[in-house]
Amino acid sequence: MKHAIWIAVVATALCVLPLAFNSDVVLTILVFSYLQGMLAVSFNLIFGFTGQLSMFHAAAFGIAAYATHLFMQHLGVAYWSAMVLAAALVAAVSVVVGAICFRFRLREFYFAVVTLAFSEMARLAVLNWNSLTNGSLGINLQEKPPFWLPGTGIVRLESTLAWYYLSLVALGVTLLFCWRMVHSWMGRCFAAIRMNDELGDTLGINVFRYKLTAFVAGNMMAAVAGSLYAYFLGSLEPGFLSIDQSLGIVAMVLLGGRSVVAAPVVGAFVLTTLPHLIHFSAEIRSIVYGAILIFTILVMPQGIFGSLWQIMRRRHAA
Amino acid sequence: MLLEIAGLTKHFGGLTAVADISFGIDKGEIVGLFGPNGSGKTTLLNLIAGLIPASAGRIVWKGKNIAGWQAHEIAAAGLVKTFQNPQLFAELTAIEHLMIAGHLALKRRLGWRRIATLIDPEYRNNSRALLERAEEVLRLCRLASARGHSAAELSYGEEKMLGVAMGLMCEPELLLLDEPASGLGTGEIDNLETVLRDLKGHGTTLCVIDHKVGFLRKLADRAISLHHGAKIAEGTPDQVLRDPNVIMAYLGRAHAAI
Amino acid sequence: MGQLIVGQLLNGAIVGTLYGIAALGVTLTFGITGIVNFALGVFMMLGAYAAWYFADTVGLPYPLAVLTAVVVTSFAGLVADQALFRFTRNNLVNGLLVSIGMIAVMESSALLIWTSTPKEMHHVLPGVFAFFGLVVPKMKLVVFGLLLAVIFATYAALTKTWTGRAAYAYAQNPEAAALMGVPTSRLQTGVVVYSTGLAGLAGALYASLYSLEPTLGSLFILKAVEAAILAGIGSVAGALLGGIILGVTEGVGSIYLPLAFRDAYGLVFLIVILLFKPSGLFAGRR
Repeated sequence: MKHAIWIAVVATALCVLPLAFNSDVVLTILVFSYLQGMLAVSFNLIFGFTGQLSMFHAAAFGIAAYATHLFMQHLGVAYWSAMVLAAALVAAVSVVVGAICFRFRLREFYFAVVTLAFSEMARLAVLNWNSLTNGSLGINLQEKPPFWLPGTGIVRLESTLAWYYLSLVALGVTLLFCWRMVHSWMGRCFAAIRMNDELGDTLGINVFRYKLTAFVAGNMMAAVAGSLYAYFLGSLEPGFLSIDQSLGIVAMVLLGGRSVVAAPVVGAFVLTTLPHLIHFSAEIRSIVYGAILIFTILVMPQGIFGSLWQIMRRRHAA
Repeated sequence: MLLEIAGLTKHFGGLTAVADISFGIDKGEIVGLFGPNGSGKTTLLNLIAGLIPASAGRIVWKGKNIAGWQAHEIAAAGLVKTFQNPQLFAELTAIEHLMIAGHLALKRRLGWRRIATLIDPEYRNNSRALLERAEEVLRLCRLASARGHSAAELSYGEEKMLGVAMGLMCEPELLLLDEPASGLGTGEIDNLETVLRDLKGHGTTLCVIDHKVGFLRKLADRAISLHHGAKIAEGTPDQVLRDPNVIMAYLGRAHAAI
Repeated sequence: MGQLIVGQLLNGAIVGTLYGIAALGVTLTFGITGIVNFALGVFMMLGAYAAWYFADTVGLPYPLAVLTAVVVTSFAGLVADQALFRFTRNNLVNGLLVSIGMIAVMESSALLIWTSTPKEMHHVLPGVFAFFGLVVPKMKLVVFGLLLAVIFATYAALTKTWTGRAAYAYAQNPEAAALMGVPTSRLQTGVVVYSTGLAGLAGALYASLYSLEPTLGSLFILKAVEAAILAGIGSVAGALLGGIILGVTEGVGSIYLPLAFRDAYGLVFLIVILLFKPSGLFAGRR
């Protein structure tokens, strides 16, 4: 498999990258890219592969971030347990939201609007439940996750280098999981649902169940990303659940490409590093996201990766 | 009696599309449903296949009342329907269509254990077995030449046969065919007839609705005639075609197709 | 207490007409171009800032400022239609994504130009109107009356003029209408321009009552879409009713429940309606 060679090369390169670029700034940007990449890839499972435009992804991300902290604070559990609990919470919420939407057979656009509504409700809850979430002021997170190393024992993940490897591994696991799902009979079911769900129904595919599976799985991965992101960044704010955040995720996927599992990572990388290369204010970043969204929809619906893939395939066939 | 319909009725607001229809289908036979446009044939099949809910009546499949079951559950139980207007997966090739249609077969072979394929794709050789079966069905439906063609490249006749092929991948005990011959040329119709007879030889029961009276007359063992949603005659194709009610229904609507 | 409720009812009805006219724009755009144009919110914002600019900075008399604002937003709508929306006809998902992209671009641009500091327009019509112990600012009544007039005028135009009936016919059956000589692309562009103009009008009038922020469009468009869906996306008469129902529910609800819940009512309506009756409450009636 020629792909395996490429993957090995890229993976090795990314692993040894910190040796070449020992700058804290570069590594920080990459950590953010990898975590955003997790968001984009997991969103693409729902959107690109199963064809459901979910506007709930940012909500899953934000709920998990807040939940991790709250579980640690109120239940006294350690970070990793809190993350697992947060993911479970997001899974439960996703099952409810997804079941409601898919039970009523909401078509793409209406599904997007209803998930948007649910997402907004979650954001309003976080924004206004001051006693729990400190509202619009957000919460500062001082603690860093613990990690057990053989020989040294328990270490706090504080250095950017540690986070670099942690986020790289997390992204790798996400990619592996999505890749496995997509290239299995389950992935074929997702594809059938995306292309013609009524036909899939008559062929014995339980459309409700597989839509829900994709939705919950995607949201759970977003949850893990949220947990990690909040503790790397060191703060929580209601903006995690905003429409802007959802917009950013959609832009990443459209920019990178929908048809290949790893393609959204390209989009995540570009959109995360760009504001650091050219100093953008938050407003300009929004303008760029918006422009990219418009541009990709109208001009390049395949995204960067998708377009390159097509060009390569045509060269191969010729 | 494989399938038994009793008092099946469907109202769409004020319009009664299917009015109190009752009949049965035995294993191994080919039943033809005749009727002019608007007689409720397609609605009847959609009711049986679970695509729309019935207003009243019972649909008994192998002893169980399946009225109210979901479409995929009915397909899983062995009752599969094809579409009159070919429904396809726009991005896939013919063989890929059949791979997806093999979902039910896979489910039956592995059950819940198919989750294991997420870790080991070749668990119990499932994908190779699936591919072999898909190739076999393609050959059976005389579509082998269209194997690698995408949905857009298929001719109308090939699209319709692909619909039948997908139905076959579901390992149906009863295959409901909604106007499989409509829009086909003479050669393609002969092809279709051969395939359907082959199927009957292999033990699949068929229920076919179509406009083409000649086609059904040659193919079907038994015929049922519908008009304005009600059953007006039942018997051998020749008996039905000579039935005075049927003749009136057809002559009354001068543009009946041959 | 009773007076409080009546006061909120009235207030809610007035706010409701603002929702209603935006909902009208949403409904018209959907019927003719097949997408739900969330970007109408930013056109409303544009209209509001334009009116403020022309009235306070340039010094035009208020009615003229409103007119100019409407012209500006209609023109912007024309440009947007030709550059962007033209390529998303009848594609709801693409339309949604392009609208969201446009919102991001325009809101952020507005933030850069005018900053998030709220702007207040000078009082156009100071003073209140008192009746039956209720006190309503005069300007609000003027706005209310004006919006109602425009909505009814639109309804009349749709049912009486040839253009209006052509639009109606097109919404029912695009192919037949095209075959009968209805100029479809001009009609579609015309509807987009008209609805952005309506949004601009709503914004310009909004400016006389409330303070301006770049995000005012987002808050409004969600409500407008909720109102349109509540009424039945496609129902012109319903748009106004939907808006008023929403406005009144919010107003009266805010008496009993904390303010934070106000924005949630519309969301709940939206979800419930889309789940149970996606065609809305007044579907079937135009």
